[in-house]
Amino acid sequence: MVVLSPIPGSSVLDALRRNDPSIVRSLYARHFPIIRQFVRKNNGTLRDAQDVFQEAMTILWLNVKEDRVKPDAQGDVGGYLYRVAKNKWLDTVRSAAHKHMRVVVDEEHAPVVLEGPDETEGRLQRLRSIYAALDERCRAVLDRFYYERQDMATIAASLGVEEESVRTMKYRCMMKLRAQRRIIDGVDETDRSA
Amino acid sequence: MSKAALRQERFETIEAYLLGTMGNAERIAFEQELASDEDLRAEVDAQRENTLAVELGAFTRTLGSVVEVEGRKEEDGWMRGSSWAPYLKYAAAVALIMSAALWIIGRPSANERLFAEHYVADPGLPVPMSATDDHVFQDAMVAYKLGDYAEARAKWAGLAQERPESDTLRFYIACAALGEGDATAAVPLLKGVGDDGRSVFARKARWFLFLAYVEQDAVTEALAVPLDDDATYGERVRAIKAELR
Repeated sequence: MVVLSPIPGSSVLDALRRNDPSIVRSLYARHFPIIRQFVRKNNGTLRDAQDVFQEAMTILWLNVKEDRVKPDAQGDVGGYLYRVAKNKWLDTVRSAAHKHMRVVVDEEHAPVVLEGPDETEGRLQRLRSIYAALDERCRAVLDRFYYERQDMATIAASLGVEEESVRTMKYRCMMKLRAQRRIIDGVDETDRSA
Repeated sequence: MSKAALRQERFETIEAYLLGTMGNAERIAFEQELASDEDLRAEVDAQRENTLAVELGAFTRTLGSVVEVEGRKEEDGWMRGSSWAPYLKYAAAVALIMSAALWIIGRPSANERLFAEHYVADPGLPVPMSATDDHVFQDAMVAYKLGDYAEARAKWAGLAQERPESDTLRFYIACAALGEGDATAAVPLLKGVGDDGRSVFARKARWFLFLAYVEQDAVTEALAVPLDDDATYGERVRAIKAELR
């Protein structure tokens, strides 16, 4: 049996803020089993458990990025992740498609109403709508620069183009997002004086 | 947020501020400007949100791939422990035999192999930072460099209708076609540019024409391409022709 050593809460938050990819694997290894156990106990499959884990992780990530999460008393974010995942799955099993199922809720982990879940959902939806404006080539450049924090020379080398080309692409792609954001906000696009 | 277009220099200043890469003195000056300029504050907020949208998109992909990989490991672990696991080795052997049979049927011809060994896509032209005079051409070049040959080809083809005489357009449309694996479309364009002694692309066009003929198994045409004495391509052309003969 693999015993996982605790990850200090502040390290988790820092790693999520820095977009450290290893933290996603660590959180999966540490917290997915208990989420899977809960989902399976309530008529869910492995795939269902993975879906709610992803939703919970995304909510955690956004709230960390926007400074709305503090580690719990044990200095971990596991409790937060579990509560979000559980609420998500309970919402699913209570939905019309799952009304026939029997819900097994352990009292110890009774569902918790999280602060402003609808607000976070709305925020995620808005950010996804903005990102939807990008094609694959823009994503290739912007993901590397803003998420992976690669420098221009590394991006240029990996894409096989000159640094100046990457710089131009980055600017143009971000302008696509700017335009998309204005469309979402319903800003009049007709006045475009330079 | 202002309705006016955001110039690249201004965009990069805001970006440096948001990423924390701005020097101390510059940051203090920028924050002073920020305090008194409502439009700039709105622009900074918008750019912060756009950056977050990019990070969310990339995070979602990372998360999806971690869950998929780890989930597969769990499924594999479950299969190893299941009662029918001993039969997996027989299934693997059947799969191996079928793969070998498919490979033998579908393996590339000698000419396709020669083409694959020698074909390297042309790197394209540099895209200048302030290219504002010919956006469509530059956008297509960016697409070409990223391997999006269909998009590059479509954009350049539109321009070629207005400028059919342009050897640059004809050459790069052919390069994009070759990149897409469409040697048939590339050949007439490369032939035209290769025969144009005044074009700076003439030698490169003959090289790609030669490779296109190799890929098409048009041995007679490939042998007739006059590049044997070329300082850049001659050695490779002679070697390939020796194999073709």
